[in-house]
Amino acid sequence: MENPARRIAINFGGGYVPGLNSVVTGVVLAASQLGWEVVGIRDGFDGLLFPDRYPEGGLVTLTPTLVENLAGAGGCILGTAARSDPFHVRTINAENMVEEVDRSDELLGVIQKEKIDTVISVVGARALSILWKLSRKGLKTVCVPKSVENDVAATMLSFGFNSGLSFVADMLERCRQAAQSARRVGVVEVLGEHAGWLALQAGMAVCADAVLIPEIPYDLRKVALKLREKATAGRGFGLVVVAEGAKPLAGLGGAAKTLDAPMKAALSPGAAGGESFHVMDRSGQAAAEVALEIQRLTDQETTPLVLGQLAKGGTPTVVDRQLGLGYGAGAVRALEAGRSGVMVVFQPPDLKFVPMNEAINQVRTVPADSELIHIARALGISLGD
Amino acid sequence: MSNQHVSTRAPTGLVLNIQHFCTHDGPGIRTTVFLKGCSLRCKWCSNPESIHLKPELAYNPRKCIGEKECGFCLKDVCPESALYAVGSGDRPDDKVRVNWDLCTNCGRCVPVCPTHALTLFGQEMTVDQVLEEVEQDGSFYRESGGGMTVSGGECLLQADFLAALLAEAHRRGINTAIETASNVPWDFMAKVLPHVDTVLHDIKLTDPERHKRWCGADNTRIRANLKRAYETFPDTKFIARTPVIPGVNDDEEHIRATLAFIKPYKNVIDYELLPYHRFGEGKYEFLGAVYEMQDFTSPSPETLKRLREIIDEAFGRPTQAR
Ligand code: SF4
Ligand code: SF4
Repeated sequence: MENPARRIAINFGGGYVPGLNSVVTGVVLAASQLGWEVVGIRDGFDGLLFPDRYPEGGLVTLTPTLVENLAGAGGCILGTAARSDPFHVRTINAENMVEEVDRSDELLGVIQKEKIDTVISVVGARALSILWKLSRKGLKTVCVPKSVENDVAATMLSFGFNSGLSFVADMLERCRQAAQSARRVGVVEVLGEHAGWLALQAGMAVCADAVLIPEIPYDLRKVALKLREKATAGRGFGLVVVAEGAKPLAGLGGAAKTLDAPMKAALSPGAAGGESFHVMDRSGQAAAEVALEIQRLTDQETTPLVLGQLAKGGTPTVVDRQLGLGYGAGAVRALEAGRSGVMVVFQPPDLKFVPMNEAINQVRTVPADSELIHIARALGISLGD
Repeated sequence: MSNQHVSTRAPTGLVLNIQHFCTHDGPGIRTTVFLKGCSLRCKWCSNPESIHLKPELAYNPRKCIGEKECGFCLKDVCPESALYAVGSGDRPDDKVRVNWDLCTNCGRCVPVCPTHALTLFGQEMTVDQVLEEVEQDGSFYRESGGGMTVSGGECLLQADFLAALLAEAHRRGINTAIETASNVPWDFMAKVLPHVDTVLHDIKLTDPERHKRWCGADNTRIRANLKRAYETFPDTKFIARTPVIPGVNDDEEHIRATLAFIKPYKNVIDYELLPYHRFGEGKYEFLGAVYEMQDFTSPSPETLKRLREIIDEAFGRPTQAR
């Protein structure tokens, strides 16, 4: 296929995960092989929407020389954009009033004016939906999935997951040692609102006593039984891993959380107490609740600990570096093949391209018959069921 | 949201809620009407559903009975494909989810939901409809010296509707109060204030730059509006208020600066401190999208006492037991 010189851009939607720089390196190296020019957009689309904020320019020209030593580095040279949404840009209007305005058309105009042919975007679930809306309005784009929870559908592995997993497993090991010296039960909360991959795989790696994931509602009496057996055998300590989205079995421990919110009740219909629909469980709540209940059921002291967002930091593992480079190069390959509106996915052993909307409104969860579930059970790890 | 809605909304207004028997929003027992829409974005805002001047979808997953049992909203209802369920069968949780980045708040899914898991925040109501609801409490507030308070959001954004509502309330003999942050064009205030008995207005921060950082816009217009309002409406009672947020404005400097601002005006009859409450142990989601509220804590009783003493002294009254 004829491939004339092209100018493509790369940006990141959503927050930081380890390995972002590897994707940049992958894109730049692969594009330079084809003689294409690559620019990076700072902070999501902010570099184009708010050029004034960037004295050195909202676009960064990315050359192979610049990115050569980047792949293994932590941090992210382009900046991230956890809250950047061109359809709802917070603005102060002429009357000094704050409002959110739709600047998507303007953004597409700037992209055209900058002669950017295609935007390669690194996305999590939210940024994917926003990018999809832009692509429906005519933006040519190829996206790459990132997720520390590994919950993006259509791909076996999002980058960032492996680094998060290594970190979490490492921390769990330390927690277990700490719990052992203190003769306590450590209850550690890890990321995973809808999908329990991180809790399950890290918990398995350190042979935790129990792993509670969103996919399997738990009954803490089962977990307590297991911990008590262990204590009877003279090993009075333990480690319970709980994903932040794990929930008790319906009707159990379901003493509906009563939230003391009289004023809340005053302000939105039906938004009072446990009924409140924009109150999500707070980070740390799962660990706190499980720890308290286990203490009650086992009469052993428990210590809750939250790893939460820490799993999203740090430098990438070798697996994530490879994956990031692969995804970056894969995105360029998709463009070379004339594809647009697709996501690069890893379906071992292949990198494939699937239409973006196949990953929208989907969450990759742990299936009940997953081999990982079987292995965990075989190892005697309680899943709370 | 855009300005075309602003100020020209009469004869109907976008009402978020009407709350009966309130005791903190002005004198006596009051009925508080909350209007939707705001012109600031305070980082500690605990009512994100009041921010936008348009009806918005609200989803309560606790009420959804799931795709298998019901699934009505999933059947070609949503033009944006914003509603979905994550698998079913082997998954214990087949409750519907809303993709908030795709939802345009069109409301089409609301009537099909049998359990009211899907509802709308914000209803268009006429002056008469609002007052009919308010007057149910008539006997209570007449006895207690109470009345109707209109709050928000920023109630002044719907100035025409608000003026009509307050004028009609006055005609019916109802005492009126508004709660406002006053970041609106002066015209809006000029229209509304003739119909208000008590104006409860926020002074969140006095420094313009800090105000901008924490509340989204600076306070130059607020200060100009308030001064002009104090002077233009000498018979209206004003009560200044500060929501006390530790680490933001819980310091003597802020209290003294506010006092210096209000004290020259005899019609500013009080300065109240509202201790910020974190509502429950919840991480707030704004209609789905994780809301930017960080962990603000509540001020300690000692801090409040110390700050209130400064105010009491300025107003020349003994420190009140609270
Ligand atoms: S309000 Fe409209 S766009 Fe939003 S979910 Fe319901 S039907 Fe879809
Ligand atoms: S219509 Fe309502 S109850 Fe039924 S699946 Fe949809 S949200 Fe749930």
